[in-house]
Amino acid sequence: MSADQAIHPPDLDNSPKKRGRSRSGTRSGLERSSARLGWAFASPALLLVAAVTIFPIVFSLIMSFSNVNVTGDGFSLSGFTGHNFSIVFTSDLWQHAIVFTTLYTIVTVIVEIILGTAIALVLERLTASRGWMMALLLLPWAIITVISAQLWSYVYNGVYGVLNVVLSPLNGGHDINVLGGSFSATAAMAVADIWKTTPFVAIIALAGLVMLPGDIVEAARIDGANAWTIFWRVRLPLLRPTLSIAVLFRILQAFGLFDLPYVLTGGGPGDSTESLALLGWKVMFNDLKFGPGAAVAASTAGIVLIACLVFLKVFRSQVGSEETA
Amino acid sequence: MHIRTAVRSNKAMAVIGAAALMLAASACSSGSSSDKTPSASGPAKGTIVWYANQFGPTNTDVRKTLIAAFEKANPAIKVKLQAAPSDSDTFRSTLTTQISGGNSSFDVYDGDVVWPAQFGKAGLALPLNKYFPASYWKTFSPGLVSSLTYQGKIMAAPLFTDNAFLFYRKDLLAKAHLPVPTTWEQLQSEAKTLQQKKLVKYGFAAQFDSYEGLTADFTEFEADAGGATLNSGATKSTIDSPAALKALTFMRGLVSSGVAPSAITTFQEQQSESLFTSGQVAFLRNWTYAYADSDSSASKVQGKVGIANLPTFDGKSGPGYSTTGGWNMYVNPHSKHLAADVAFVKWMTGTAAQKIMGIQGGELPVNAAALASPDVQKANPAYPVAAKNKLAARPSDAAEYAQVSNSIYSNVNAAVSGSSSPKDALGKADKAITTALGSNGL
Repeated sequence: MSADQAIHPPDLDNSPKKRGRSRSGTRSGLERSSARLGWAFASPALLLVAAVTIFPIVFSLIMSFSNVNVTGDGFSLSGFTGHNFSIVFTSDLWQHAIVFTTLYTIVTVIVEIILGTAIALVLERLTASRGWMMALLLLPWAIITVISAQLWSYVYNGVYGVLNVVLSPLNGGHDINVLGGSFSATAAMAVADIWKTTPFVAIIALAGLVMLPGDIVEAARIDGANAWTIFWRVRLPLLRPTLSIAVLFRILQAFGLFDLPYVLTGGGPGDSTESLALLGWKVMFNDLKFGPGAAVAASTAGIVLIACLVFLKVFRSQVGSEETA
Repeated sequence: MHIRTAVRSNKAMAVIGAAALMLAASACSSGSSSDKTPSASGPAKGTIVWYANQFGPTNTDVRKTLIAAFEKANPAIKVKLQAAPSDSDTFRSTLTTQISGGNSSFDVYDGDVVWPAQFGKAGLALPLNKYFPASYWKTFSPGLVSSLTYQGKIMAAPLFTDNAFLFYRKDLLAKAHLPVPTTWEQLQSEAKTLQQKKLVKYGFAAQFDSYEGLTADFTEFEADAGGATLNSGATKSTIDSPAALKALTFMRGLVSSGVAPSAITTFQEQQSESLFTSGQVAFLRNWTYAYADSDSSASKVQGKVGIANLPTFDGKSGPGYSTTGGWNMYVNPHSKHLAADVAFVKWMTGTAAQKIMGIQGGELPVNAAALASPDVQKANPAYPVAAKNKLAARPSDAAEYAQVSNSIYSNVNAAVSGSSSPKDALGKADKAITTALGSNGL
């Protein structure tokens, strides 16, 4: 679905409707009334979307600034307070979770982008078998994370796990308990994450590669550029808008990391793999502290929003400077 | 240029969409809070839904046996079983969402023994005082009833109680001419001997994963060493004590000496039990039902399993402490079939049902008369052993217990897995528990 969005933009610009509009310049009365009719038809769906996205956001924000009491009949909110946020910001658990989630996001996204682009370059060269390879590659992406996490837990299991069976002879016969150490558990989770989401990046990158204008590459080749130079100087810069979409999607997803630690480590050992989402869940649904829990969620959303805006800004100024140069 | 504008607006959409996703997770339904106490008038009939997870031996479903017996005794009431998540934390989050959202699709639900204070404070269960006569509560031990009570309100009826035991391999001890250990130090050295003689791969298994079960296990070691996590009024943390340090250092030693598998830090009940039933470990700390499981035909160690009270530390009088576990029955405050709910709960906690619980369910009956009956006592060798158990309760009378427990198990897990020292872990746990009790931190 996201791959579609990456492919769509250029198509959209060539659509008859857009061309028609830009040709006529101003909208006729007929167009306006049909637009109104369009909005009328779309409004039930838009209302539904608002109900399931905007309402929860607003409610959660209100919750994070209120004193929340859970009762058998729902939540009662009262007052306006910054107390929830002051609790959250001064908490060791939150500070640890934010460092962990951020580092985890940076590392996994970088690795996924590099691997995904490499795979896309190979896929682009394939001719007959490309469809099959893509189907195969998409399998990890198609498996629900909870299920694939469970499968990885069989790999990592410190008694029966495949990894233990293979590696323990190298460790003098002692068990290898990957999920038992802070660093190794984090690395194990990152591997499972990269295994699952690299294909997603590869598909987006492939879509970008396929859309690159062939004549530019051809021109570079005639000018005597070798494959390496063509990749770094021609194709990669042209691919950058597509990759930025992939990076954005990945940052958003990686920051919401929940199912992998939930299944693989439960946040352990200790709280070393406790992500922001897992912490928010524990605070809300184990401790039943809904005010602070909403503050954890709101703080996560805020950080993600800022991270994405900064990324876009940096990316846009880079592309801009390259175009003017 | 066109490409870029389109891409940009898509990115903006993506950012907004993501923010929506992050926040949607935190939002739930709201409603007005009113303190109404429904009445249980009207005839006890109709269909009620019992939301319960699996208990007892893994290879039979005692819930269905109990329902069939209840429906036979009460033909006017039908009970529909709704399967609940086996993990108690997941189950709790499901219940919280549904009950606070006003869901009345289930009437009676099972819940952990450590929930009454938290659920009482949050109003997630119907206080039962007025639906049952005082004489009803006298059929249970006073300690049990007080564990169900929050600020004078009895939040649940007990379904079964649970104790921890030491399960051991009779055949291995006989081969090595070793006695059943009565101290933890003895257990460690015997386990080492059995491993060195290549009789078994691992010496000891328990539940050291970062979850509620580890709080239960740690509470036992801590009590054996003479410590407790909270003071008697459950108002102050006492976990950073020499006794707790001794307990935690010993737990870490089980792992670092190779007696326990290093993967024990990821073991919950099921993983530790399957290591035992597959014949790979000599000693197992587990709950009552593990006897029925390990002595079944599906187990590789059938007929070789011994059961004893848990050991204690050298120099303390035995036996060791067992944490009190078990499950209760709670009534959904939104239930529309209160009369039937009360009849069902009453029957399930009565002698007939509790005998089924003891004989077929492999769990300790809460009803004293049922537990004392000879056919129950004969059914499971765990019961006579249980009578000699010294019990230690987790500090669940604090309404912030979930957070207190989280502070215990996450830090103890860090120490046992070696990622922090026992001393540091207890210091961190102490700080976290103090924060939890003061209700002003995560």
